[in-house]
Amino acid sequence: MTNLETFSYDNKIVRNFAIASVVFGIIGMLVGITAAFELVFPSLNLGIPEITYGRIRPLHTNAVIFAFVGNGIFTGVYYSLQRLLKTRMFSDLLSNIHFWGWQLIILAAAITLPLGITSSHEYAELEWPIDIAIALVWVVFGINMFGTILKRRENHLYVAIWFYIATWITVTVLHIFNNIQMPVHLFKSVYVFSGVQDALVQWWYGHNAVAFFLTTPYLGLMYYFMPKAANRPVYSYKLSIIHFWALIFIYIWAGPHHLLYTSLPDWAQSLGTVFSIMLIAPSWGGMLNGLLTLRGVWDKVRTDPILKFFVVAVTAYGMATLEGPLLSIKSLNAITHYTDWTVGHVHIGALGWNGMLTFGMLYWLIPRIYGTKLYSVKLANTHFWIGTLGILFYAIPLYWAGWTQSLMWKQFTPDGFLQYGNFLETVTQILPMYMIRAIGGTIYFVGVIVMVYNLMKTAFSGKLIANQEAQSAPREVHVAHKNEYWHKWIERKPIQMLIVSAVLILIGGIVEIIPMMMIDKNVPKIASIQPYTPLEIEGRDIYIREGCVGCHSQMVRPFRSETERYGEYSKSGEYIYDRPFLWGSKRTGPDLHRVGGKYPDSWHYNHMYDPTSMAPGSIMPMYPWLFENDLDTKYTAAKIKVHQSLGAPYPDGYADKAVADLQTQAKKVVANLAKDNIKQEGIENKEIVALIAYLQRLGTDIKVDNQNK
Amino acid sequence: MGKYILEQSGSYNWMAIFALFTFFIIFIVAIFMILRKNDPLMKHMQELPLEDDETQIQ
Ligand code: HEC
Repeated sequence: MTNLETFSYDNKIVRNFAIASVVFGIIGMLVGITAAFELVFPSLNLGIPEITYGRIRPLHTNAVIFAFVGNGIFTGVYYSLQRLLKTRMFSDLLSNIHFWGWQLIILAAAITLPLGITSSHEYAELEWPIDIAIALVWVVFGINMFGTILKRRENHLYVAIWFYIATWITVTVLHIFNNIQMPVHLFKSVYVFSGVQDALVQWWYGHNAVAFFLTTPYLGLMYYFMPKAANRPVYSYKLSIIHFWALIFIYIWAGPHHLLYTSLPDWAQSLGTVFSIMLIAPSWGGMLNGLLTLRGVWDKVRTDPILKFFVVAVTAYGMATLEGPLLSIKSLNAITHYTDWTVGHVHIGALGWNGMLTFGMLYWLIPRIYGTKLYSVKLANTHFWIGTLGILFYAIPLYWAGWTQSLMWKQFTPDGFLQYGNFLETVTQILPMYMIRAIGGTIYFVGVIVMVYNLMKTAFSGKLIANQEAQSAPREVHVAHKNEYWHKWIERKPIQMLIVSAVLILIGGIVEIIPMMMIDKNVPKIASIQPYTPLEIEGRDIYIREGCVGCHSQMVRPFRSETERYGEYSKSGEYIYDRPFLWGSKRTGPDLHRVGGKYPDSWHYNHMYDPTSMAPGSIMPMYPWLFENDLDTKYTAAKIKVHQSLGAPYPDGYADKAVADLQTQAKKVVANLAKDNIKQEGIENKEIVALIAYLQRLGTDIKVDNQNK
Repeated sequence: MGKYILEQSGSYNWMAIFALFTFFIIFIVAIFMILRKNDPLMKHMQELPLEDDETQIQ
């Protein structure tokens, strides 16, 4: 052998990320289960604001995406990157900064989200100081990864590493653009983009968070751990190349499919649909490539739980990536959007694809880094069956619920009236399904506990090989051949790979987003639309804090079933002062965009105190603390100034008068309440007044315009 | 339902159709280019995840 170099792989960092993934996985799932039960039993929150549905939903999504899956990604990347490149990580210090930095961010999220400190962009709820921390830690990860790639001993970059590189660059771009905000104070900021533009940026981000955080890194893990577990190479390396380039290029365009039939211009919606359908090709290419890797070893699948986990994970990937494009077809989307169908869909991805792949990877990797055998293969098999059962019990009732509810929303009587004019009726109908879903989630969770026991037993039976000794020849210096085709050139050069990936994803982003920002005609102006009053801004911020957007949309789509139920359909020009947009993505309660003026102030007063008093059987949480908390007006003037600087046409110097104006408007609300015999000590200073003012304003400006015509 | 889906597809504008065709063509060309190549490098790449255990000294 030629001069072999001796070095060691860092297993400790792998182990640390693995523990973090499991611990936060448990927490994230527990929060999810709590949220699921709260939908059936709203009083389960015990009147504690921090654990009401609206506030813990983002906690659940963030915990599962960034803490469970995020740490899962890093576990797999740190393990595979070192071995594929035959070198130790670039810097142990950076590895540790990355690890602790990421965990601190998660901790910050776990504290701020229940406190209602949120920017309300889905999966990007964290406020600006944490956003900056995320960017810094992400850059540390990037430097560490590229440093490792540069000092590698293997000339060629295996396809898994391309997926990691594309992940890194795309997440960087997404994170920056979706968090362009003006701070009001440490815990509050205002998005620079408003309304439709904000919505487009958010869902360009939101969709690609699924694509480049939940999918591409996990595909990298699939391309590494599947062959390892099956002990045979991937079915077709060529197919994996096609999979990679096609996937990253097409994915970035698909965001607008979250906004079909909204006020987003048609051309953008069409792009979203077309690219989503095209996505079937690379996604299924990837799925088949994964499954066919097992050709010839299917008998092993029967006995080996790890392969079983991988098979279900990859199959779930295939299901979800077929379902996604189908849900992007406008006519199907008209039925499924805002319903539990979507929730079922994402959980096929989260529980099936991410969850099962993570579990398989952990069962494979923990015994190896502890230099021992898995404690119990039987328990792992048990976990597999419990987990699979949990997924079925979770997803099937939600598909059922989503479909049933949507058809009820759209059902007309022969005389042309809505058959289920009372929204609540369509909710109580599906409560049994919610119950089964909550049980399904619990079953899945039990499986995870079984895994934790098994892995802990495994770890205790061995000893962590913190530094795994290894040997390899140094990297050959490559001499370029004639006729080398482009791909070989890129595939050896990490930086070129980074640049080409970045260009590919930027094309999609730029073509979709820039025209929306530049062309005024995309958002037709409506003369009567005015910015919110100071009291309404404060009310809106309470709406954001409480996470009402988790259950209520503010977007009436142009269907007769919706205009009949809610009123005139929503126009893009109505949202130009909405920072952030609050269109929502799920209707657990009715749309609120036209709720202004629908009821007297007293109705809202009673309803917010106890929804069942106005709507018997309602599953909306009670908000008694809004009646106790004094409205904080310390930052009202500052908020007005920020909105003004972003283009809201308040008169000059208005900020100084804002609080006085706020008090005047509050007195009006109080007078309205008094007319209906509602009296409460000091009510004019309570948060509820601001919220009522905001709700009563919603969707009313356009009515002024209609009267003037 | 099927008919409704088909009707909807008529309303896609030129931009989307143009994009679809462009990338469909690029896609086909890329697949063709890649599948035509048959060389030992692919085999080496394919084996990478399996070789790395050999670097470890047990
Ligand atoms: C767990 C989901 C959930 C959350 C969170 C939630 N709601 Fe509701 N909301 C509902 C449901 C279900 C209904 C329908 C039954 C009813 O009227 O109570 C509803 C109804 C309403 C209505 C009446 C709409 C109409 O047209 O009749 C208003 C107004 C409302 N909610 C405001 C809010 C506000 C403000 C918040 C946040 C502070 C909020 N909701 C949080 C579920 C929710």
